[in-house]
Amino acid sequence: MPLTVTHLKKYYPVHQKEPGISGSLKSFFRREYRDVKAVDDISFAIDTGEIVGFLGPNGAGKTTTLKMLSGLLYPTGGSARVLGFTPNERKPEYLRQMTLVMGQKQQLNWDLPALETFLVNQAIYEISDEQYKRTLDELTELLDLAPLLKKQVRKLSLGERMKCELAAALLHRPQVLFLDEPTIGLDVTMQTKIRQFIAEYNRRYRATIILTSHYMADVTALCKRVIVIDHGKLMYDGSLDELAARIAPHKLVRVELATNVEGSRLDSYGKVMKIQEQSVELLVPRSKTSEITARILAELPIVDVTIQDPPIEDVIARVFEQAALTHNATAAHADD
Amino acid sequence: MRKYLKLLGIFWRFSILRELEYRVNFLTNAFMSVFWLFWGVISATIFFAHRDTVGGWTFEQVLVVLGLYTLFTGVMEAFFRPNITQMIEHVRNGTFDFVLVKPVDSQFYASFHSLTMWRLVDILAGAALIAYALRAMGLTPTGGQLLAFGLLLLVALILIYCIWLAMMTMSFWFVKIDNFAELFYAFYETGRFPISVYSGLLRALLTFVIPVAFITTFPAAALMGLLEPTELLIGIVLALALLALTNRLWRFAVRSYASASS
Repeated sequence: MPLTVTHLKKYYPVHQKEPGISGSLKSFFRREYRDVKAVDDISFAIDTGEIVGFLGPNGAGKTTTLKMLSGLLYPTGGSARVLGFTPNERKPEYLRQMTLVMGQKQQLNWDLPALETFLVNQAIYEISDEQYKRTLDELTELLDLAPLLKKQVRKLSLGERMKCELAAALLHRPQVLFLDEPTIGLDVTMQTKIRQFIAEYNRRYRATIILTSHYMADVTALCKRVIVIDHGKLMYDGSLDELAARIAPHKLVRVELATNVEGSRLDSYGKVMKIQEQSVELLVPRSKTSEITARILAELPIVDVTIQDPPIEDVIARVFEQAALTHNATAAHADD
Repeated sequence: MRKYLKLLGIFWRFSILRELEYRVNFLTNAFMSVFWLFWGVISATIFFAHRDTVGGWTFEQVLVVLGLYTLFTGVMEAFFRPNITQMIEHVRNGTFDFVLVKPVDSQFYASFHSLTMWRLVDILAGAALIAYALRAMGLTPTGGQLLAFGLLLLVALILIYCIWLAMMTMSFWFVKIDNFAELFYAFYETGRFPISVYSGLLRALLTFVIPVAFITTFPAAALMGLLEPTELLIGIVLALALLALTNRLWRFAVRSYASASS
């Protein structure tokens, strides 16, 4: 596998400060440190051309993992191998093949047009003029960059800036992409565009991509496989569908009725989630979905029936709820 | 090597373009450079109002020192100050990550990424003052003196670079290091006058710990044939040692750097 992570750990010493001036004074003279386990023993492997979504609440350890994979942080324990390299050695041969995009930080110079930063990157990555032109043309076409390249970056909108950031990060045609919240703060149309671009880049160059995002739509649109981490621990690694099946063993059946039906009659099919006039939502056990739908069709005055997975947001929220429960349980246990 | 020369060209082009965005800066600051040069000369004349020598140096000889002081102020302001400012921003915003994930020597990038073009005026002004003082004394340096002067200019450049690099390295741990720069300038101010003006502990401090003497006094002495050969030798050894030491410090700092806001 081109990307393998085994028992990776990162503990940060974080200094503790009591609130208020006296606390600040105390910590000025004597700092107390405590280890925070940002990443705590996670292992996974990713194949060439895969797009994997990294999910987890804030502070789960997603960014820390990406930083270790891109060689910015030294692991406290365990190891990471990417394309046959150990990232934290930061070998130029490795750095030339990977890229890191951080939605919250920008590499483009604020005062100059993006094109200027591109030229710096061309020199740093030693891209030949011919290849530079070819890649830039492709990126310009895919991202609609033409009207943006010669404007000063500070005059671009957030979404336009993100497009240019992506282009700056991809000029050297990296094989491995670490995208940390690439769509953060963007409006829905721009999110969709960025998403389509990532999918297209993946298809054209068979690039391996790890993506973190707060927007579930990014993940459902791009990633067949997700890795869920919370409190630095790996909670799930597998397909998005399976995650839904495992965490939410129910399907949502939406029924449009021709006439009003009493709530009590509906109870026999499944848990009634919502009744609004003649449209009803029922939560039905996954394994009995077809059997129950058949009964509904036979027994009720039906206009329309749709069967859906519950929204992925809810599924993920439940993963974290469960994670929090286990976490608290372990914590409570440790206190004894 | 070729890659880095090319990069240097691109970085400087980049900086110049950026400065041209704010054009008014150029004129005001060129004016300030010339103003400070004259101010330095006037304060030197005040020192010499009631005596012929200061620390054994004549007025014209002190002007050579002052010229070097101005020249290296220009070097620091043009080449090093903007980089340290950027470094602080990089570390504070966590954007130094973008430098570290690129196949480029991080010390090179951090050290030479920016240039404040208009401070090159100080370098020209300093050189002009040196030339003027030499003419006033009717001195033409010999080939050997010029060679020693050239070597000591190089030593001075390296020493200044090392001091700024060390300060820049500190930003990994302390983030806001503007005060270090101010502290260094306080010591550098002493370089307006030859080191022989100072005595005892301060003199040793300014020669070996914060080697201001090697930046202004010794190159001036070399140009006027007043240099002891040992001083040249010590300078070269000191420069090479500091270069190796600060490079190690930088590597160590990068290793222990945990970027802000994870």
